Amino acid sequence: MDYIAQQVINAFQLGSIYALIALGYSLVYGVLSMINFAHGDLFMLGAFTCLLLEAIVPIPLWIVLPLTMITIGFLGALLERLAYRPIRNAPRVSAIITSLGCGLIIENITLAISPYPRHMPTLLQNSTIHFYGITISFLQILVVGVSLTLMLLLDFIIRFTSLGMAIRALSCDRVMVSLLGIPANRIISLTFALGGALGGAAGLLYALAYPVISSSMGILIGWKAFVAAVIGGIGSIRGALLGAYILGTTEVISVTILPSTYRDLIAYSLLLIILVFKPYGILGEPPLQKV
Amino acid sequence: MNKQAISILYLIFFSLCLLASCHPTKPVIKIGINAEITGEAPAIGASCVNAAKLLVAEVNQSGGINVAGKKMSLELVIGDNGSKPDESVAISQRLIAQNEVVAMIGPNISSCAVPSSEIAESMGCLMISPWSTNLRTTRNSNGSFKKNVFRACFTELVETPLLARFAINHLHASQAAILYDISSESPNSAAHQFQKSFLKEGGKVVATETYTTGDRDFSAQLTKIKAANPDLLFIPAYYNDVPLIAQQARRLGITARFLGYNSWSTPDIVTLDTGHYLNGSYFSNHFSLESDLPAVKKFNTNYQSAYGQPPDDIAALTYDAIGLVIESIKKADSLNRTAIVQAMSNIEQFSGVTGDFIFLKDNHDPLKNIIILTINDGRFVYVETVKP
Amino acid sequence: MEQSDFNDAHFLKVALLNKNFGGQRSIIDLSFHLNPKECLGIIGPNGAGKTTLFNLLSGIIPSTSGSIIWLNQEIQKKSAVQISYLGIARTFQNIRLFKQLTVLENIRIAYDTQLTYTPLDALLRSPHAIKEEKKSIHASMELLDLFSMTSLAYEAAGGLSYGDQRRLEIARALALRPRLLLLDEPAAGMNEAEMNKLMELLRWIQKEFTLSMLLIEHHMPFIMGLCNRMLVLDFGQLIAEGTPEEIRQNRRVIEAYLGEEEKNEF
Repeated sequence: MDYIAQQVINAFQLGSIYALIALGYSLVYGVLSMINFAHGDLFMLGAFTCLLLEAIVPIPLWIVLPLTMITIGFLGALLERLAYRPIRNAPRVSAIITSLGCGLIIENITLAISPYPRHMPTLLQNSTIHFYGITISFLQILVVGVSLTLMLLLDFIIRFTSLGMAIRALSCDRVMVSLLGIPANRIISLTFALGGALGGAAGLLYALAYPVISSSMGILIGWKAFVAAVIGGIGSIRGALLGAYILGTTEVISVTILPSTYRDLIAYSLLLIILVFKPYGILGEPPLQKV
Repeated sequence: MNKQAISILYLIFFSLCLLASCHPTKPVIKIGINAEITGEAPAIGASCVNAAKLLVAEVNQSGGINVAGKKMSLELVIGDNGSKPDESVAISQRLIAQNEVVAMIGPNISSCAVPSSEIAESMGCLMISPWSTNLRTTRNSNGSFKKNVFRACFTELVETPLLARFAINHLHASQAAILYDISSESPNSAAHQFQKSFLKEGGKVVATETYTTGDRDFSAQLTKIKAANPDLLFIPAYYNDVPLIAQQARRLGITARFLGYNSWSTPDIVTLDTGHYLNGSYFSNHFSLESDLPAVKKFNTNYQSAYGQPPDDIAALTYDAIGLVIESIKKADSLNRTAIVQAMSNIEQFSGVTGDFIFLKDNHDPLKNIIILTINDGRFVYVETVKP
Repeated sequence: MEQSDFNDAHFLKVALLNKNFGGQRSIIDLSFHLNPKECLGIIGPNGAGKTTLFNLLSGIIPSTSGSIIWLNQEIQKKSAVQISYLGIARTFQNIRLFKQLTVLENIRIAYDTQLTYTPLDALLRSPHAIKEEKKSIHASMELLDLFSMTSLAYEAAGGLSYGDQRRLEIARALALRPRLLLLDEPAAGMNEAEMNKLMELLRWIQKEFTLSMLLIEHHMPFIMGLCNRMLVLDFGQLIAEGTPEEIRQNRRVIEAYLGEEEKNEF
């Protein structure tokens, strides 16, 4: 029993990080119908930004977290401005290639600056809580807590603020949004900033939980989060969360049952099966027919 | 992924090589280094290159080597294999075919050393891996030894039985769990050897869990291990993974003692913020600075003054590997690759900084002692030397 | 709203407007003007360039040459966002509501551009943001009330009936407080009763909101019920201009437009 509870907590921690990244994919897909494959690298930059800030001056987590989010949010918006906006009306495959290219550029710049894996300093005095045979570390609570808080915040922004309304409207009809006097480009920039900020936060939390960071850390996790977003229904915020937690749980279950080499095999086979039955993802909707 | 970029770089590189080959060759002995300078294990590559440069400088300062009546100096040709098997193969081909080295040192990690050994074997060039303990580095698939490939370190066949014996006799362990990287050859075979030996010595293996290279989250596996309640956790893993595993294990409430093998031997493992989780752990090692061999003292002093830090295993083994190459060249008295390999095959005994080497007849793996160290307040402390 | 300070010639004046798509000329040397409070009908066969004209006027696509003068300024180089601020709003032939947003949100989003609060304000629930939000909801509900749609405020716009979607789209355009409303076939797909209701609504809007309209429509009775003057486009060119009665008699119109589609309700 406590064994299962412990594994559930493990799955929850992993899923929370996937979720934060998956949200970035979903947000951007929502407004531009494009996959920002450089998003995994923004996640990586989140970890490195935190490391850099801590190297300049040791600051507590509650300061470094918002600073990292702002930095990566800004970089996300900058990426859109410099790389994606000029080709917005180009064929979709150009956008995919551009984002893959941007990802590689970001990775290789980081590799050039920091060729070796880096180790994160400990920002938190780690303590563990034991009850009924379950061990939860403060870090796990932090990772899950911060992730959930950020996700609730995002949900609030999307559902109840004028920015959120504009983002949702933009995902329905970009031209119409401009005709109503809303500068679509600014909303798109803000969307990239929001997604980037979440990815940056995920990178920071990941680096705290698993304190070895490298320029290539965003690739696999980025892909996994992307898969989670697709499974949940890309473009759907809640779908991204659901997909991420399903992926986290599947991974933990497959590792506990089979050797670790089977983990991704099992996890992704299962997810592909979901797609066979729900081609638009669990919470995704088929594109609306134009009248 | 960035294959295209790599191939363009190769193209540029080969053109440069062609240009370079226009120059008249000087009378030097070229030794190739195939090292893990970037990628998963950069500390390994750095130590390897440092030790190689040190020995070459020492030899050249003392006048070089006499070959067929001619004083010749040593020259290193260093290639970065990025800790990747495919790149290490490409580097091997380049060193042997393009740079015309007389012998190749490295690669060190087995996932690179095994495929590279095939290149050395087929191209007839002596290869000595300082640190690859995987059996297949020096052996063909049918178990016979590769003609041209040797190593300077002990293998799992020597190491893990001694380690298991130490764990049972000295640490009084009886219930062992193993967590290892299933996708890397050396940890993989170490785990299997240890399991066999531990059972043979009378212990019990209560859990065997695996992960894959690059994983950062081990909580699912460790939760399973915790449920099996072991008193010893054997972690054959590369140094990047070990502190993470130790941290996550302690956080999950695992109290078992950690046991490692030779891959733990880089100081990086304890200088990390999470290094303190390893206090009280034991691991086996190739080399100790506390050895009383006079060669070790000299090596240590020279290395420290050159690089400002003490040499680690990789450095010591690289030093000995190049020592073996020099010995072979002297014995062969020629720069002919076949003659050098033949001379190396005839070496029965060699004394290096890592101890005494015994090469049994037709065996390319040396028989050597293992050194047990414990981690105490972030320092490696010598415990004992276990002789075969 | 005070409008006497505008002289007729500079309310909306289109001069020698051209639009080429590649080699294809969609609008050719088009010139016309619109008077304040006027409703001007535009007819023409399919492909005559009517919707292209609206796209040029609303700034969705740039013109190739010529000028559009609106309230004394040239607007042919301005963006859709800028033009919306200058008081031109439009609807589409194929309804373009934000189908996943609620009816109320569809209106609010148009109102919100007139508000002054940042996402951070909204997040922190600052008094200013709360006040502004209330203002926007209040104004939106008032507008919905004029259209008798308050009971639908929290429905998804995509779930409304066809007629309600048409009306909502018009209401949303009005939320921008426009001076000029561009209506692209608002009665398309409606039966006679619905069409009559819409005609009444538009008449009432024109009076209530004191605005001008450009109306693309196929149904002559609908145009005649609303407009005193109309333009006829064919292959991008203005071929006739006048009262509906004059247009009905015009030989060129009959040849170009009616010749092929005599069975129409003309």
